[in-house]
Amino acid sequence: MPRWHPLTVTTGGADNRPVERWKALVATPAGRFVVRYAAALAVGFVLIALKPVNDHVVNPYTTFVAHQARVALNLLGEGASVHGQVLSSPRFSVTIFNGCNGLEAILIFVCGVLAFPATWRSRLLGAAVGFLAIQLINTVRVVSLFYVGVFKPEWFSTSHVFVWQSIIVVFAVILWLLWARRHAVAAARR
Amino acid sequence: MPSPQPDAELRRFLRRLPLALVAAAAMWLAIRPLYDPFLCRSGEIAARMVEFPKVAKIHLAEGSALVGRTDLRADSAWLKLPLTQIHFNAVPFLALVLALPGALARRYRWRVLAAFGILVLSHILALVANVKVFYAAGLGEWSRANYGDAARAFYGALRYFFDIPLTFTLPLILWAAALWERVAALVGMAPEAVRTAPRRRG
Repeated sequence: MPRWHPLTVTTGGADNRPVERWKALVATPAGRFVVRYAAALAVGFVLIALKPVNDHVVNPYTTFVAHQARVALNLLGEGASVHGQVLSSPRFSVTIFNGCNGLEAILIFVCGVLAFPATWRSRLLGAAVGFLAIQLINTVRVVSLFYVGVFKPEWFSTSHVFVWQSIIVVFAVILWLLWARRHAVAAARR
Repeated sequence: MPSPQPDAELRRFLRRLPLALVAAAAMWLAIRPLYDPFLCRSGEIAARMVEFPKVAKIHLAEGSALVGRTDLRADSAWLKLPLTQIHFNAVPFLALVLALPGALARRYRWRVLAAFGILVLSHILALVANVKVFYAAGLGEWSRANYGDAARAFYGALRYFFDIPLTFTLPLILWAAALWERVAALVGMAPEAVRTAPRRRG
């Protein structure tokens, strides 16, 4: 008989019926994580789509992201300003929309952290550090896209969608893997 | 037991990820000239499957889908929809697959292919959702005459679902679902058999 760790995923054994396999998976910590993660993502994405949340949280947050980028650009001597969610300088302007504010990557990461079997202290610390890290890389993204717009405007769309959106999604996964690995090992020791 | 040392598998994955991301982006940019027309044609067929009369028209123009109806005047509004926003998520999906050691082994190949098939299906459905939103809200008087507020709200919600939650989370979900033993191993949640399996080069 193989020795299974408390955080082990079982693969169903002799019973291969889909319902039984699903039940066996959900009975494991990994299975419960998947269900919790899917539920947390669903709740998170529904929440940010609600009009009051959009008006009072998402839009101000997006404006805050624009101001962060403005500060970074002004440190580089751009003389940028923000009007609503539009970041502009004499050389270029960008509008920061939903989907460009990093909120999706933050949700992907934070939901993963909250759903993972760890102490609440670890979860809250992980969520806070991850939030700041994603904020930071999103500011780098906005600033770099601004300069792509200044120097190579024909590359803007490709850089914006293909390059940076992919990087942001992958970055959220990396952060979560690093955090989860650390806490899976910690849980295994207990 | 998961190793208390920094996990070699995770380190390998993280080392491979930057190159995998570049390779995935290059692959996808190379595939795009074939994929964009396929997506437009498939989207048109799918849109016509859920409407009567079958009048949806989707043209490809400079990387964007031009969406219209063949039963309206030629000077009626057309929707210009950048296709990159629909299918960019293939890049993180491919990058995560390519970065995971052993992900293309015979054991996982069909699962990865099936996951990619689901991703392609989601792109087609996203295009159809955008067609329906265009009908319901983008054709002015014609939209108001043919769609109620509830229908507009429904299609708006559908577009949000395809534009944001599904686009951003589906590559991760499919990656984790297709390769869950190996992904679980990365965070120390996998069976011994997976974690201690002999590693292949590459």
